[in-house]
Amino acid sequence: MTMTENNSGLILIIDDEESIRDGCTQALEKSGYTVLATGDGHEGVRIAREKHPDIAYVDLKMPGIPGMDIIDILSREIPDIVLIVITGYASIISAVESMKKGAYDYLPKPFTPDQLRAVTTRGIDHRNLTLETRRLKEEKEQVEKNFITFVSHEMRSPLVTIEQYIESLKVIAGDCLGEDAMHIIERCEKRIQNLEALVEHWLDISKIENGTLTQKKEPVNLAAIVARSMEEMIPLCQRRGLEMEKDIPGDLPAVIGDEESLVRVLINIIGNATKYTPSGGRIHIGAEYDDLDVRISISDTGTGIPKDKIPFIFEPFFRGKGKEDRQRGSGLGLTFCKKIMEAHDGSIEVQSKEGEGTTFLLKLPR
Amino acid sequence: MTAKKKILVIDDDMDFLMATKLILESGGYEVFLAEDGKSGVDMVKSVAPDLTITDMMMETWGEGFAVVSKIRSMEQGKDMPLIVLSAVDLQGPYQSYEPSDEFPKVNMVLHKPVKADDLLKYAKQLLR
Repeated sequence: MTMTENNSGLILIIDDEESIRDGCTQALEKSGYTVLATGDGHEGVRIAREKHPDIAYVDLKMPGIPGMDIIDILSREIPDIVLIVITGYASIISAVESMKKGAYDYLPKPFTPDQLRAVTTRGIDHRNLTLETRRLKEEKEQVEKNFITFVSHEMRSPLVTIEQYIESLKVIAGDCLGEDAMHIIERCEKRIQNLEALVEHWLDISKIENGTLTQKKEPVNLAAIVARSMEEMIPLCQRRGLEMEKDIPGDLPAVIGDEESLVRVLINIIGNATKYTPSGGRIHIGAEYDDLDVRISISDTGTGIPKDKIPFIFEPFFRGKGKEDRQRGSGLGLTFCKKIMEAHDGSIEVQSKEGEGTTFLLKLPR
Repeated sequence: MTAKKKILVIDDDMDFLMATKLILESGGYEVFLAEDGKSGVDMVKSVAPDLTITDMMMETWGEGFAVVSKIRSMEQGKDMPLIVLSAVDLQGPYQSYEPSDEFPKVNMVLHKPVKADDLLKYAKQLLR
């Protein structure tokens, strides 16, 4: 190669042999790279920390700090630096060890300027590829995150506005509306609320999947969570003529988790129970524990789930009922519950017998 | 007969503004609407409302807080009752609302959609 090539990049040479430093510097500068060189290991680390070179060539055998330690320090401290080992004592063992510590390539002495340039080009390509991959990954994450925020705003605001309009319609026309018209309005409200729940659940599931759902990890009292959830659901149970009772041991141990999410899981399951349990039925919430887990059970005396449908109930948009589908929900409630339980390293299971009832079992590790 | 009390509503959703206006008018208030934070702030000055209700997430997240800060720094807005009405899950600093320099003092935080009865009740309460 006679012409100066149009490369760019900052290369650091750490080698105690002056002739190697000079040779490398000349060869690489001729190819268009900017080169820094030092014969002292500590000085090399200092320069690398300050200048963040694209590539550092490190001689393994130097007085003072061992080259292997330099590789170790630089690979941990300087993100995306490409480390290449140069040594006159090449051996498989030292090659493997330096790779383990984070070196990308290995150049045994003596080497020709062309060999050096070839290794350098490969190192720069590797670095560019790594940087590009990361940039794309970050971009993708950002797009996903923005998408969630966008959906959250763009899907919820029209629903909220429709609800607000219905409220205002009731205010300005309430007295003139007959029973039928009021019923229509109530159904509209109900359907909008279902759609809102769907958006809510879908958002939460997306957030769990891309890791942006903020979940606390602190000791939570499951008895209090059961009490809160029941309090919320008692009015609904009363409207549907259902009895709800609990039997929670007083010494139930705390588990680590997010109280709000767990309350929502319980509310979801109790809500399902109210949908599929005929008036006069009963919902029972129990708890037990052993050395490994704390388990909450929610049992109802409802219609039960057909055996062949049980494997699918946690799938998105799976519905328990066929044609007579009057029990509408978001279609994502149980999927949400499963995701939340999994995020707690726990599980959700179901046992059901048609005509007798259904029991959901929530398991949380102690 | 005493003059009608004036309520200013700031929100970037014109439909939401209309719905809120209808509810508030049924309570006998004179209602003014602003579709963005800047005109809202201007109207606090020109209209001198007795109560202002503002959205939180308008053009940009947090614009509502900027609007609240601005209103609170104005002579007409310094002691005026202010309601924040937001559809955003009030999470993080918004969940347990504590007034501070960063989150200036508002009189009430309500969640969208708001029941007509509730909105009228709270407006009446703040305008006593």
